[in-house]
Amino acid sequence: MRRHTRRVYNLCYRFTGNGAAAEDLSQEVFLRVYKTLGSYQPVYGAFPTWLTSVTRNLLIDHYRRTRRDRITDSIDDAMPQIEETHSPVRSPDKVLQAAELSEQLQRGLARLSPELREAVILRDLQELDYSEIRTVLQVPEGTVKSRINRGRIELARVLQEMGVRPA
Amino acid sequence: MNWNCATTEERLTDYLDGALAPEEAAAFSAHKAGCAACARMVAEVSALVSQMRRIEPLEVPVHLPVRILDATLGPRKQAADWRSWFDWLGVIWQPRFGMGAATVAASFAVLFHAFAPVEKKVTLADLNPIAVVRTANRQAHLTYARGVKFVNDLRVVYEIESRLGPQPAGIAPVSEPEAPQPSHPSPSSNDPHQKSQAVPHTNRWEASADGLLAFAEADRWSDDNTMRSRP
Repeated sequence: MRRHTRRVYNLCYRFTGNGAAAEDLSQEVFLRVYKTLGSYQPVYGAFPTWLTSVTRNLLIDHYRRTRRDRITDSIDDAMPQIEETHSPVRSPDKVLQAAELSEQLQRGLARLSPELREAVILRDLQELDYSEIRTVLQVPEGTVKSRINRGRIELARVLQEMGVRPA
Repeated sequence: MNWNCATTEERLTDYLDGALAPEEAAAFSAHKAGCAACARMVAEVSALVSQMRRIEPLEVPVHLPVRILDATLGPRKQAADWRSWFDWLGVIWQPRFGMGAATVAASFAVLFHAFAPVEKKVTLADLNPIAVVRTANRQAHLTYARGVKFVNDLRVVYEIESRLGPQPAGIAPVSEPEAPQPSHPSPSSNDPHQKSQAVPHTNRWEASADGLLAFAEADRWSDDNTMRSRP
C-alpha cells in the first residue's frame, strides 16, 4: 500500500507540480482502483503498470480540466507554483541540494508539453521500462522512445535557459 | 554513413541506452567529436538523466494514506463517545456467551447443593449480615474446637494405651539399691520409672486411667452441643 501510494503520489506531483492536487489525484486514483479492482485482468499488465495507467488517465483528465485555469494563471505567473518538497532526513547540505534540484527539475518539467513530460517522468523518475511505458501510454514503442528523447533534450534546454547546469 | 545533428538528436536515447549498433555508435561518436553543439547537448542530457535517476522519490504526506483508506474503505469509527466504553459488552451480549454463562452457573449450583454445609432450610432471617457473620464466626470456632478436641482425645487414648499396655521386653525396670517406699512417693520425683517402682503397679495405673477417662468424659461433655452430633 505504502509503495503504491508513493508511486502514484510522485507521478501526480511531478506531473502537476502541486502537492494538494497530487493528494487529491492520488486519492481519486485509489478510489477508482478500489471500485474497478474486479475488472482488473493480467492482460492489462502487472498491477503497478495498471496502477500507473489509471493514474495517467486521471492526470490527462485533470490536465484538460485545468487548462483554462492554467492559461489564466500564465498571464500573471508563467511558472507553476512549486511547493516545498518533503525530503528524507540527511545532512543539511545534501538536503538543500536535493531539494533545490528537485524544485528546479519540477519547474523544468512544468514547461514541457504533457506528452513529453509524462514520458520523461515515467522513464527517468518512475524508472519504468519501455514496454511498461508503452502499455501505460498505449502508443508504439518507437513513439515512446521518440517522446522520451525529445523530452530529455527539451528539458535540458529549458534547464539551461533557467541557468541550471546539471552536475 | 550520413550522420548529422538531426540524427544525433534522434538517436540520443539509443546512444545513452547503449542500444546503437557498433557502426552507428562509431558514427555517433565521430559526429560528436566534430560538432561542439551536439557534444554539449549529449553531455547535458546525459548529466540530466543521471541526475534524475539520483533524485529520491518524494515522501508521501502522512495523512494521505489515511485519506485514501477513508475514501475507499469508509471513515474510521470515532471512539470519543462515552457509549464506546460499553463496546466490550457487545462481545458478551451474544447467545453463545449467554449459554456458556448459564452452563457455568448451573454447574456451580449443583456443586453448591451437593457440598454446601447447609443443615437447615435457609430463611430470610438467616440472610441478615449480622446473622451471617455470627454463624460464620460460630462455625469457625466450632471447627477449631472439634479439631482441638480430636487431638486431645487422641492424646488421652494414646497415653492410656501406652501406660496400660505391656512393657517391652527389652526394657528392664531400673533397679534401685534401696528398698522401695511403701507409701507415697516423693513429690519431687518426676521420673515415671521411679513412680512405677514406688507405687503398686495395678492400682496406680487403674487410678490414673480412671482419672483420665473421667477427665476426657467430663471434657467431652463440657463443651457445647457440637459434640452431640459426633458419633
